[in-house]
Amino acid sequence: MGNDFIQSLTEAVVNYEVEDAVSAAKRALEAGVDPVAAIEEGLAKGVRIVGDKFGAEEIFLPELMVAVEAMKQAMTILKPAINKSSRVEKSLGRVMIGTIEGDIHDIGKSMVGAMLTVAGFEVVDLGTDVSVERFIAKVKEVEPDIVGMSALMTTTMLRMKDVIEGLRKEGLREKVKVVIGGVPTSSEWAKEIGADGHGWNAMEAVKVAKRLLHQPEERS
Amino acid sequence: MDILRGKKKQIDRLPAFNSVGTYTADCMKAFDAYWPEAHRNPVKMAKLGAALHRLAGLESVVVPFGLTVEAEVFGAPVNFFEDSVKWPSVKKFIAKEASDLKVPSRVDDVRQLGRVPVVCEAIRILKREFEAEVPVIAYLCCPFESIGSFLVDSADFLKRCISEPEAIHEFMRVTTPYYAEIANSFKEAGADIITLREEAVSLNNIHPKHFDSLVKPYLKKLVKEVKPPRILHSCGQLWSPNLEVISKLTECGAEALTIEESTPMEKAAEIVSKAELTHALGGNISAYSVIHQGPKEKIQKSVELAIAKGSDMPMPGCDFWLETPTEHVRTFVEAVKDLSADLG
Ligand SMILES: [Zn+2]
Repeated sequence: MGNDFIQSLTEAVVNYEVEDAVSAAKRALEAGVDPVAAIEEGLAKGVRIVGDKFGAEEIFLPELMVAVEAMKQAMTILKPAINKSSRVEKSLGRVMIGTIEGDIHDIGKSMVGAMLTVAGFEVVDLGTDVSVERFIAKVKEVEPDIVGMSALMTTTMLRMKDVIEGLRKEGLREKVKVVIGGVPTSSEWAKEIGADGHGWNAMEAVKVAKRLLHQPEERS
Repeated sequence: MDILRGKKKQIDRLPAFNSVGTYTADCMKAFDAYWPEAHRNPVKMAKLGAALHRLAGLESVVVPFGLTVEAEVFGAPVNFFEDSVKWPSVKKFIAKEASDLKVPSRVDDVRQLGRVPVVCEAIRILKREFEAEVPVIAYLCCPFESIGSFLVDSADFLKRCISEPEAIHEFMRVTTPYYAEIANSFKEAGADIITLREEAVSLNNIHPKHFDSLVKPYLKKLVKEVKPPRILHSCGQLWSPNLEVISKLTECGAEALTIEESTPMEKAAEIVSKAELTHALGGNISAYSVIHQGPKEKIQKSVELAIAKGSDMPMPGCDFWLETPTEHVRTFVEAVKDLSADLG
């Protein structure tokens, strides 16, 4: 019986139906379905299917984002119901991302966040025009495993260095990995300012995040 | 200009210009026309828009800078980042629905709103000065990009393309005549060419079928209402082995299309050569990794390649990178002049 409820969660994500995902989550709980199974076999499965379609160019960013939204909304229903004794497969890690300044064209900037979510990370997106102070305050508050920052000008690239130095001063630097991105950045620049990784685009950012958290390498 | 009329065979060589942003940090310094002042002061705007023509021989003068002029007209609170050189952005997104936009009751009221009068005055100054020399180009940020980046939360806007397409239609339907009016006011002020920037319709953003349903009808209408010649510009990847949006862009009716380096020039050229309405293709030299970074030989080689692959207007893929050395722009201009001289 639980299978039908789990199936309808997968379907809601695959069909980009946010409201259906929420009501399917509620119905699953009422029917006594294990919330962990609902998340792992229902929602996560749906997101994986959608991620594959994205990779195959069947769907694009908007569909991906709605599917992620459906998953997130259903999670808010399912998560509180998780029995403390039951084991939830941990997310791959918490990633906090932000852009130091806006681009001339802004519309695609949510790409990295959506891609990381589909890959299984928990994402906190600070948006654009994030100041050095805000990055640091948010690291304290959110306690991410990875901080991702991007910049578009060599002048604002310097502020990445300020963030890293600020984290060091606050004693936070060892607690997070720092990944940088954006057109003018390079792995050389990442090394120079003491970042842990560099990802030029959304796909690379996912790879770098996985590598940093799950196949630890020595810090350069 | 003849290229835009489809008369490539009658010209001696290709134009060495850029039909999108031609501002750089060096230019701001050279003419004391810094952002954000140059966004609001027509004299400084004109100075900055003409700077690369003066300093590097670029064959166009272009205003405005950034993409927020149109959004401001509809009530977006623009953040100019006083005391720093950053692309203008907005302090917050003002609209959830089309009814949240401040839409003036009469279409021609937009001519008095926001920075539209500033841009028009800058165009008049440029026209007086460069009339016989180089084309005065003004660009317009088109509705899908303008609304989706500066009026509605971008993530929300993209999601609603799927979950609530009627809302997107409503935004596009209500605003399109106003965007056309802004472009025509630039035209009447003296702009020789209007560049229509619908930046975010690539495969990086939406499915071509959503371009067809949500963007194309309005873009077509916009192009039709703006007086020619018109250059349509879009960034991002417009072609893949499975899908492309280039042919759909050419159906919108602009005389020319310009693309950036994420789209292969030879594929675009093949599609544009079959297009009925669009007969010139521009781009797709990387503004960052070629023209900004150089060196000289790489710039020359890239111009040569762009021409060889079918670019009628070998130019940067998008705005010049803000920190581009003037010398690199000069190299680009000379390379286009030299390498296309024997085409005629
Ligand atoms: Zn562009």
